[in-house]
Amino acid sequence: MPTRLKWLSIVRSPVGATATVLVLLLALLAVFAPLIWGAQAEAIDTSGTQQGPSAEHLLGTDALGRDVLARVLIATQLSVALAVIAVVIGVTVGTLLGTAPSVLPRWAGRLVVGIVNIAVAFPGLLLALFFAVIFGVGTTGAVLAIGFAMAPGFARLTQTMSAAIAGRDFISAARAAGVSRLRVLIRHVLPNIAEPLIVNATVAAGGALLAFAGLSFLGIGVQVPAYDWGKLLGEGLNRIYINPAAAFGPAVAVIVAGLAFNLLGETAASVAGGRVTIGRWTLPPRPQPTTRAVPAFSTVSVGTILSIENLRVSYPTPSGLVHPVRGVSFEVREGEALGVVGESGSGKSLTALAASRLIEPPGVVDADRLEFNGIQMLTAPEKTIRGLLGTSLAMVFQDPMTSFNPTRRIGSQLAEAAQEHQGMSKKEAMKRAVKQLQAVRVPAATRRAEQYPHEFSGGMRQRAMIAMGLMNSPKLIIADEPTTALDVTVQRQVLRLLERVRTDTNAAILLISHDIAVISQSCERVLVMYAGRVVEDLPTAELYTGARHPYTRALLEVVPDLDTDREQPLGVIPGRPPAPGEVPLGCAFAARCPLATAQCREADPELEIHRDKHRVACWNPVESDTRVTLPELTAAAHTEAAPVATVGGAQ
Amino acid sequence: MSELRFDHVSVRYGSRSTGLTAVDDVSLTIPSGSVVGLVGESGSGKSTLARAAIGLAPVTGGTITLDGVDVTTLRRRHPIQMVFQDPFSSLDPRMTIGESIAEMIPRGTFSSAAAKRAEVGRLLKLVNLDPDRAGSLPGALSGGQRQRIGLARALAARPEVIIADEITSALDVSVQGSVLNLVRDVCAELELTMLFISHNLSVVRYLSDYIAVMYLGHIVELGPVDEVLNNAKHPYTRELLASVPTRNGNLLAVDPAAPLDVEPADPHHPPSGCRFNPRCPIGPLVHPERQICVQSAPQLPTTPGHATACHFAELTKDRLPQPFEPAW
Ligand SMILES: Nc1ncnc2c1ncn2[C@@H]1O[C@H](COP(=O)(O)OP(=O)(O)OP(=O)(O)O)[C@@H](O)[C@H]1O
Ligand code: SF4
Ligand code: SF4
Ligand SMILES: [Mg+2]
Repeated sequence: MPTRLKWLSIVRSPVGATATVLVLLLALLAVFAPLIWGAQAEAIDTSGTQQGPSAEHLLGTDALGRDVLARVLIATQLSVALAVIAVVIGVTVGTLLGTAPSVLPRWAGRLVVGIVNIAVAFPGLLLALFFAVIFGVGTTGAVLAIGFAMAPGFARLTQTMSAAIAGRDFISAARAAGVSRLRVLIRHVLPNIAEPLIVNATVAAGGALLAFAGLSFLGIGVQVPAYDWGKLLGEGLNRIYINPAAAFGPAVAVIVAGLAFNLLGETAASVAGGRVTIGRWTLPPRPQPTTRAVPAFSTVSVGTILSIENLRVSYPTPSGLVHPVRGVSFEVREGEALGVVGESGSGKSLTALAASRLIEPPGVVDADRLEFNGIQMLTAPEKTIRGLLGTSLAMVFQDPMTSFNPTRRIGSQLAEAAQEHQGMSKKEAMKRAVKQLQAVRVPAATRRAEQYPHEFSGGMRQRAMIAMGLMNSPKLIIADEPTTALDVTVQRQVLRLLERVRTDTNAAILLISHDIAVISQSCERVLVMYAGRVVEDLPTAELYTGARHPYTRALLEVVPDLDTDREQPLGVIPGRPPAPGEVPLGCAFAARCPLATAQCREADPELEIHRDKHRVACWNPVESDTRVTLPELTAAAHTEAAPVATVGGAQ
Repeated sequence: MSELRFDHVSVRYGSRSTGLTAVDDVSLTIPSGSVVGLVGESGSGKSTLARAAIGLAPVTGGTITLDGVDVTTLRRRHPIQMVFQDPFSSLDPRMTIGESIAEMIPRGTFSSAAAKRAEVGRLLKLVNLDPDRAGSLPGALSGGQRQRIGLARALAARPEVIIADEITSALDVSVQGSVLNLVRDVCAELELTMLFISHNLSVVRYLSDYIAVMYLGHIVELGPVDEVLNNAKHPYTRELLASVPTRNGNLLAVDPAAPLDVEPADPHHPPSGCRFNPRCPIGPLVHPERQICVQSAPQLPTTPGHATACHFAELTKDRLPQPFEPAW
């Protein structure tokens, strides 16, 4: 989202809009109140001192008979100005301290970090009081005190944020080109931390406002004849039994202004963090199932463990509902190894998550049929689904670190699965856990069971994850890119392990990968996905010779192998897959397909049975079983068409 | 001429007690104008070696020279440039791509801003991008396009050596080819020397003239690409080759003799002698009499051509994995 639009969305949320209006109001008051009510606030009326609220003086009068409301309104200027100046001091000093370590010599940098670390350990108000004593009683003293008291917090914030930025490759690139450290700081680091810094400063302004009120109230802030809300509050409280309104007025002002800054900052923070709230949305009526020439599967056949028909996954976006999965149908038979291959964004993972009902709102899943082991997954109660996960349905993810609880030992996490679902005793379950770890060939399983997830290497963690899935004899293991984060040697071990589990327990495996070679080597059947649909479904034995969809052919063509001709340029598929919101009418591959015709751009081909165990969704499937090269594809070696959409996640 | 030479280079991270030697006494020469592919598992020290060459990793021993001149004395000229792995973190999201590229142009090369802009345009054209895109922010570009910008930015510094660290591993296969073709063409055209790091052997094979295989901070095998791939001698290289998923491969095949499923060694406590010995199918685990593997670290011969750091390199010839019949 462009930055300007992003900030505009602050105003769109009700809280953000309220906060913005309040802050604007404060600014207006700060500027114009003295001009409008100046005379009134100074008008001494000895005949009407210390009066309660009246039509003339809505909040009554003070000890000299001056109008309290006018004084509260006028005090806005000083109160807000002081808070803002203090924040500016705090942010400036903090940023200087926070970034100094990256330009100073090492020892000096360490010294600064040390001092900041000590300073942040003190409560802010204590620091403010400390500085107030040093700088002396009075307005200047108070501003400096509060400003300096805020500095360590900002220094710490700057430090952590710039450390995160410093680890990014563009900093390395700049340094490799000899850009000086100061320049790197100014050109690359500061602009990238400015946004969160400003957001935090806004929140801090609310805090500073309260702190000033506190100092003035204690009598070490603003001194007579100047006055801010804290001062007025102090005066009002002295006479609270005579005229409570005189205390109430400034108190409300402090609270409202403090809240306004805080809320504005919080809303800005959530926008900066990408958490934009979206308005209500409703699911459009489900499109009538298109008439198929041949129904994919009329009934669930015997021996089928997972049956999916016309599965759709939808997400709301600011520009409407998008469908990253658009009508996927397939079956998994008992003991089968089925691979799903496709580029990133093709809907592989969503299909897997939807199959196990793990799509989180606001995602929406619907399907004509979603049946696992005889259970209707879409209508089954939550409890049934939870009972399935970890028993007859096991999931293995790319990063097993996120699937384990980092604070608990591997063994007891495995045991828990068996305790919960099979009612085993703790001891029995623990024994089984060790046995399963041995089964997945974790060396020294007994000792390993006592370790924490972070003590496992990536490959071992993946094994442990598989072992966890095996605790309750699953019927289906869904493995989503289980080896993508692993080295090839370890990948091979994990694939072999899955294969062993399959032959030993007859569990079916749904293996998702972006690597067509991995699938072809470890599965019997492969589904090729493109832009949210299955475009081809065929036995892997036929993959290299009998694939008929142009996309499948192209994929096989572009992946370099150990016998690729090095004299030729590598094959390239020009263009990019359409983003979920931009899927065209007709075949989604048409813009990149060398065989596309007018028909392809008008109607989306159905996935139809081509012959036994082979389904293709294409109007002009590649003919014959000979190895077809797509000259158009290789000739276009250097063109990658301009993007139709932007790739997200730039921040 | 621009020959990059690593001479007994070591890189150590951290303190004496808790640190680790990520690169240990590595010697490697990249002949002028040629491409050396560096492969090895994650954490074996590939990136560290590369970063040492551009001064981003602390060289604690040995020297790195470009045509005989210590690279640390060349920092003003920046003749070695790097293209990074992650296309999303390698460009400053707040700078236009034109600015990012221009920043790398050595100061004083162009007197006028217009000449600088023209140079940026030329570099963009060189990497097959429309020069009009100089004003766009990286957020508007695809991963493949960002990697081209990364290359253009490296070329802006007029380097003699390019280091490419996993530049396609974050890309989809359908765009990977275009980036690799481009890198190959540009390097040939500008006669650049290149260190190409990747965990994908097929990609390395396609691009490189020589291959160096790293294991736990050591180079264990080195030689012309076809020599190493067709006649791999180090057991680790062979294991690596057997693990590459290829259309004709046999990934699920099991070598009955190999000590399977051993855990990767801990770089903080590398094994004594040959670092591969706890995993080696022809080492002391399988042949207890081969204690030399535990006692002394095999050295990489310095002779030109195909070199292997293994005490029993000549024995590996007839140890191919057994064929395996999948269940279907
Ligand atoms: N800044 C650092 N401080 C401490 N240790 C580090 C640092 N950078 C890398 N290491 C360690 O050095 C070793 C080598 O890392 P390096 O990044 O060079 O590996 P690599 O071969 O490039 O791996 P990959 O294939 O995952 O990129 C690893 O054990 C790593 O954890
Ligand atoms: S339907 Fe048409 S555009 Fe789509 S893959 Fe087939 S031939 Fe190409
Ligand atoms: S030296 Fe010994 S342990 Fe090392 S690779 Fe050679 S045979 Fe294996
Ligand atoms: Mg690396």
